[in-house]
Amino acid sequence: MQVQVRLFATYREIVGAGQLAWTLRDGTTVGQLVEAVLAKYPRLVGHGNSMLLAVNHEVVRPDSVLMEGDEVALLPPVSGGAW
Amino acid sequence: MVIEIQRARIDVEAVVSSVRRDDAGAIVVFLGSVRSDPEVQALDYEVYKPMALRTLTELVERAKEKFGALEMSIVHRVGRVPVGGDSVVLACAAAHRSEAFAACAWAMDEVKRIVPIWKTEAGPRTPRSRRGRKVP
Repeated sequence: MQVQVRLFATYREIVGAGQLAWTLRDGTTVGQLVEAVLAKYPRLVGHGNSMLLAVNHEVVRPDSVLMEGDEVALLPPVSGGAW
Repeated sequence: MVIEIQRARIDVEAVVSSVRRDDAGAIVVFLGSVRSDPEVQALDYEVYKPMALRTLTELVERAKEKFGALEMSIVHRVGRVPVGGDSVVLACAAAHRSEAFAACAWAMDEVKRIVPIWKTEAGPRTPRSRRGRKVP
């Protein structure tokens, strides 16, 4: 199956793209996808602990199982303003 | 309720008008502005728009339930916002000022905590390649 991986801010700059198409085996979890992404882009590894994960615009736990066509977002810590 | 994420300057009066109701005796308005700093000429905001719109809508509903606010609107800018510009405007209407102040303060804390919006500073030392770049 294929999912879309969205990357933002620091992560997008590290990877050099804001969106990646990723092919996975059925039953893959979000956590397993993140491990695969970190393996391909090792400069992301130091950010793994503060990464928030969302599937189809909703925050999920790493053990959530992915489905065909899901949009998975790897979100750096939010920094909405300096107010 | 108005929830928007836009590149254009925010029309503060329009945001205030969107929460006016005859049963609201208090309207609290918060403007988040880009603060001057020797290293900062502007802030670049990047957003994950569909998730941000969803999160903002949910937090407005929670603010109404939690504080009894009658109406709330939030408009956030993205892209480059210069020093002195408003990057966010939140208006909250309630029967009395105590609920309006409390709901406004809580909602702004939540905006900073959970809404997927990121900022980077743009200043005199910002690499040329990053100046004025488009953000998704």
